[in-house]
Amino acid sequence: MTAETTEIIETAATKSEADQRTERDLAARTAGWRLMVEAVRPQKWWIVVGVASGFIWTLARLAVPQLAARAVDDGIRGDDLHLVLLLTLAMLAVGVVQALTTGLRRYCAFRIALRTETDLRTRLFAHLQRLHFAFHDEAQTGQLMARANSDLQQINTVVILLPLTAASMLTMIGVLIIMMMKSVVLAVLALGLLPLLNRAATRFSSRITPANLALQEELSGLSGVVEESLSGIRILKGFGAERLQVKRLDDAADGVLKQALRAAKLRAGFMPLIDLLPTLSLVAIIWYGGHLVLDGQLEIGDILAYNLYVLMLIWPLRMVGMLVAQSSRASAAAGRIHEILSTDVAVDDPPHPIPLSDGPGNLLFEGVSFGYGPGRLVLDGLNLSIAGGEAVAIVGATGSGKTTVARLVPRFYDANSGRVLLDGVDVRDLRVSELRDAVGIVFEDTFLFSDSIRRNIAFSDPGASIETIERAARLSGIHTFIQSLPQGYETLIGEHGYSLSGGQRQRIAIARAVLHDPRVLILDDATSAVDPSKEHEIRAALAEVMEGRTTLIIAHRPATIALADRVILLDGGRCIASGTHEELLASNERYREILARSDSTESSSLEGSE
Amino acid sequence: MRGGWVESGPLDDESRIDRAAAGRVVLRLGRMLRPQRSAILRAVFLLIFQTAALLASPLVVRYAVDAGLVGKSGRAINIAAVMYLVLAVTSALLGRSVIWAVSRIGEDFLRSLRARVFRHLINLDLGFFEREKTGRLVARMTSDIDALQELVSQGLVMFVQNALIFVGTLVVMSLLSWQLTLCTIIVVPPVIFASLWFRKRSNTAYLEVRDRVGTNLSTLQEGLEGVRVVQAFGREGGFIERFEETNEAQYDANIATVNIATRYFPFVEFIGVVGLAVVVGAGSYFADRNILEVGTVLAFVLYLNNLFEPIQQLSQLYNTVQSAAAALNKLFGLLDTPNSVPEKPGAIDLPLAGALTVSGVTFAYGGGPPDTDGVSHPLGPIVLADVNITVAAGERVALVGPTGAGKSTLAKLMARFYDPIEGDVSFGGVSLRDATRRSLRERIAVVPQEGFLFAGTVRDNIRVGSPEASDADVDAAVDALGLREHFESFPEGLDTEVRERGSRLSAGEKQLVSLARAALADPTVLVLDEATSNLDPGTELEVERALEALTQGRTVIVVAHRLSTAQRCDRVAVVADGHILEIGTHDDLVSRGDAYAALFAAWTRTE
Ligand SMILES: Nc1ncnc2c1ncn2[C@@H]1O[C@H](COP(=O)(O)OP(=O)(O)OP(=O)(O)O)[C@@H](O)[C@H]1O
Ligand SMILES: Nc1ncnc2c1ncn2[C@@H]1O[C@H](COP(=O)(O)OP(=O)(O)OP(=O)(O)O)[C@@H](O)[C@H]1O
Ligand SMILES: [Mg+2]
Ligand SMILES: [Mg+2]
Repeated sequence: MTAETTEIIETAATKSEADQRTERDLAARTAGWRLMVEAVRPQKWWIVVGVASGFIWTLARLAVPQLAARAVDDGIRGDDLHLVLLLTLAMLAVGVVQALTTGLRRYCAFRIALRTETDLRTRLFAHLQRLHFAFHDEAQTGQLMARANSDLQQINTVVILLPLTAASMLTMIGVLIIMMMKSVVLAVLALGLLPLLNRAATRFSSRITPANLALQEELSGLSGVVEESLSGIRILKGFGAERLQVKRLDDAADGVLKQALRAAKLRAGFMPLIDLLPTLSLVAIIWYGGHLVLDGQLEIGDILAYNLYVLMLIWPLRMVGMLVAQSSRASAAAGRIHEILSTDVAVDDPPHPIPLSDGPGNLLFEGVSFGYGPGRLVLDGLNLSIAGGEAVAIVGATGSGKTTVARLVPRFYDANSGRVLLDGVDVRDLRVSELRDAVGIVFEDTFLFSDSIRRNIAFSDPGASIETIERAARLSGIHTFIQSLPQGYETLIGEHGYSLSGGQRQRIAIARAVLHDPRVLILDDATSAVDPSKEHEIRAALAEVMEGRTTLIIAHRPATIALADRVILLDGGRCIASGTHEELLASNERYREILARSDSTESSSLEGSE
Repeated sequence: MRGGWVESGPLDDESRIDRAAAGRVVLRLGRMLRPQRSAILRAVFLLIFQTAALLASPLVVRYAVDAGLVGKSGRAINIAAVMYLVLAVTSALLGRSVIWAVSRIGEDFLRSLRARVFRHLINLDLGFFEREKTGRLVARMTSDIDALQELVSQGLVMFVQNALIFVGTLVVMSLLSWQLTLCTIIVVPPVIFASLWFRKRSNTAYLEVRDRVGTNLSTLQEGLEGVRVVQAFGREGGFIERFEETNEAQYDANIATVNIATRYFPFVEFIGVVGLAVVVGAGSYFADRNILEVGTVLAFVLYLNNLFEPIQQLSQLYNTVQSAAAALNKLFGLLDTPNSVPEKPGAIDLPLAGALTVSGVTFAYGGGPPDTDGVSHPLGPIVLADVNITVAAGERVALVGPTGAGKSTLAKLMARFYDPIEGDVSFGGVSLRDATRRSLRERIAVVPQEGFLFAGTVRDNIRVGSPEASDADVDAAVDALGLREHFESFPEGLDTEVRERGSRLSAGEKQLVSLARAALADPTVLVLDEATSNLDPGTELEVERALEALTQGRTVIVVAHRLSTAQRCDRVAVVADGHILEIGTHDDLVSRGDAYAALFAAWTRTE
């Protein structure tokens, strides 16, 4: 059980979370411990079995040197070789027990740890999937990934170590007792130095870990530079900014070098020392034990046995040292996970949800104010009433809050004050799933999953029939294109599949929302990447889609705006005008400004046609 | 420095290299390391001494037992103890120097390798980046170099040392007692076979783990990146279920490796006891027959460990060495990739101003060398065919046309992202092929269709194109575009973090940042590829005018789907199917009643 344990430790230490904050408050650690205990509890029977087999294993292991010692002594005395044979066979028998129990205790330790890690990961993911948008705005994907990865690794490592350490402790006590029985002085001389080994291992572990973490941080910084350079390669080439990134990479590589050498220096300082300490014990055994043998108080076989015992103690002592250091890392990691798990879902079902009755899809904003953070209101007392079945275009300058209005309807965020009502019911009084069933949205930044086109379109209803899917695609003007692909609807898209153009992606996102069959459909700048000749086609189809639904269209193009029955002008966080496109063009200066129609020749040429 | 354990990554087919390739890698590595020759020799020297000290210790024990205990000499015991102490301390000191020396050499080498590979990589042509998967290239700079790091930081020393120890131990044992050596050696083959079995099985199992971890990670990542879509369509349940599946699959794969280890380690532990039993049993027998002294038995017990551990470690290290060699091979391959838009020797600076001329340009994607997976990328269909267009200094030209017509391609050729297959692009009479890279980037800048914000503040992002610009320069560029007020209204103004992929900003604001970038870079020719598609037309107009006003006589080429944008340009070119169908002023083309007129009619139809 020597080598593989280091393997675990080293792996965990290097792969561990880069941005560990050394100064975590006690409360987080306590919460972390509580979380770990709670997570391990279901495995209690495996723990019992693991610890019990560890104890048997220890006893077997302690017996072997004794048997070897007696055999050697018999060999020297030469009186009875049968006894040597018998002792040898006994060693083999004990070896079998040792092998069986070591297998069992290892298996238990790893199983418990893996189970705990896996369960916690599922819990974490499930919670993250439910957490509100604002949480995800603040969180970085990379960090959340680290929680689910390296932080759980830390916990895994400490859970493996726990049962293994129990056996180690027993080994230490056993060796101490056996040595004490023969000679207290020798025991003190031989074992006295070993606590230093433990100290050294703890020191090493607690100093190499920050170094490894810092190295890891530098390495992830470096890979961040590489990843970013590659994702933004067109920008870099477009501006000839390669040398900027080269400089950043050089800095990152210097950082890596510095931390790697720091870790190497620690290894160079500690590892030979850690190897040296047990050797000093062996010196003590040879010297003092040798003299005891000369005095006739000890047998030569005992020297052999003691040698073996000291070798046997090296790993338990190191491991206890590592466990101490590892526990503190794991509790910090668990604390961070607990922090996420204890974050409340801000957008959740109300205690007494009102069932959403069938309705036409009336939308009402009543004095809605909203800001993403403190200090800046994006919407400021917005009043808006949209009748069921009506199609309304929201027009406003860049950053005026159009997308924000759309986000409040399905409760991606909750208003700071005021109310949003769907068919007369405050959206906060509805069950979230019911509300989101009734609202379909096409985001302005299209996100598709790495999956087949079919599954992307049928996202909200994986069991949808192929007819339904095709209909949604046809209505979004993408069916013909999909059919022209060799694998049709089964074509994989995304990272490892076919790359679609911007316009095609947008249309698949529209099909996804159409298939959702919502009462309220929101199209957030959903035709920005579509060329005018195609747009016409889509517009005709969209008109069919919009039949019988309330539709919110966010758009900058006159042709798309024209799909709506009514236009609402958003400015300064409020709705400042409402009317048809023509009315607003004629009456509202700000509207003309936003659509760049203040220029008289342009507007006349556009209005002239049809 | 014994007793450590090297975690080595699994070996897949991709990271196995044949002998000839391995030979080439080693030779080239040797050449690269030549300057470090004396340091390396010193390290090897130290290592041999350290190993000798390790091997000598059991001999001291033997002396202590035979001369001291059996020979009843207290003096011999004292001598032995002192010798043992000296050997131990020497070995520790040597070990310290070895670790330090080897790390120093290795880390310096890695530092320069990183810089060299990246410098080469980032300057390669765009075609290369389109051929290669991003993940692959990131792996070159991360996991491939990490594989070397592993080897450098511990693996190499341990490999050499373990080999030395194993051979040395066998030699010393045979010299001490060939009879007992013969008895002891019977435990070696089982350990070798078990270790080979373990390496093979665990390698397969670890590959499986790596796959499953990868799948699980991408489910996780997709779940996090797509969380807004998932919630919008109420699919949390389905995603959690899917994650549970991949997560459990990862668990199963891990347990499979535990199962393999659960067979191997107990077996090795058992063989360890067998070895001890054999040495002690046979040793006692031989001692009884006076074939050897009892001290030899003790020494053998101590040597036993020297036989077991090196076998186990060497079998694991084999993987480390193999993957490192394969990684180096791939890195060398990358360093050997030629740039297909190189700067010619004797390249000249582009003139300060002039017309941009595209003459007889034909272009198709692909046709480069095979990528690192060995997949070849044959020349694709012709995207541009015999395109001619001249944009006069200070002119504004719009490129319009249907999706996939080749507008973006033309724009990219104008900035020499690629070289055309036939024909030439020149600026002020100098072919872009003959221009220095620096002058090219100073004169011509492209705001590509695929906008991208780097993590950092708004200010950092604006500065991307001109790293040496001061804060005041950035402010000036923002002012010039009339965006000051807009960005100042953010909580931290221009120092607001834009967050991952700019998620803090609205769609239009992201484009404004890209445009401010262009304003700051202030090139003579600016190519805007749908850089304003998410802006409201009012802001778009303002920004356009500001960009124009910034430099008198700036040449601008805009790719746009919004014909209102095209309408404001001096001339419009309609691109369709890789040809320029027609080119002229907006009014001319409308009155001509051809392609553009039809497009424009579609644009205005529902007004
Ligand atoms: N997740 C967010 N966190 C903080 N601020 C945000 C966030 N999303 C948007 N904002 C800010 O809120 C304001 C309104 O953004 P919104 O996306 O609603 O604008 P918009 O009208 O849709 O603009 P565009 O036409 O550019 O899409 C912007 O100034 C933007 O910077
Ligand atoms: N990197 C690439 N590798 C291979 N083919 C490409 C690549 N980029 C574009 N193409 C293909 O070249 C053709 C022209 O593409 P291009 O991007 O120039 O079109 P575009 O006119 O800009 O269209 P859009 O309006 O959609 O931006 C398309 O058929 C496209 O599929
Ligand atoms: Mg928006
Ligand atoms: Mg394009």
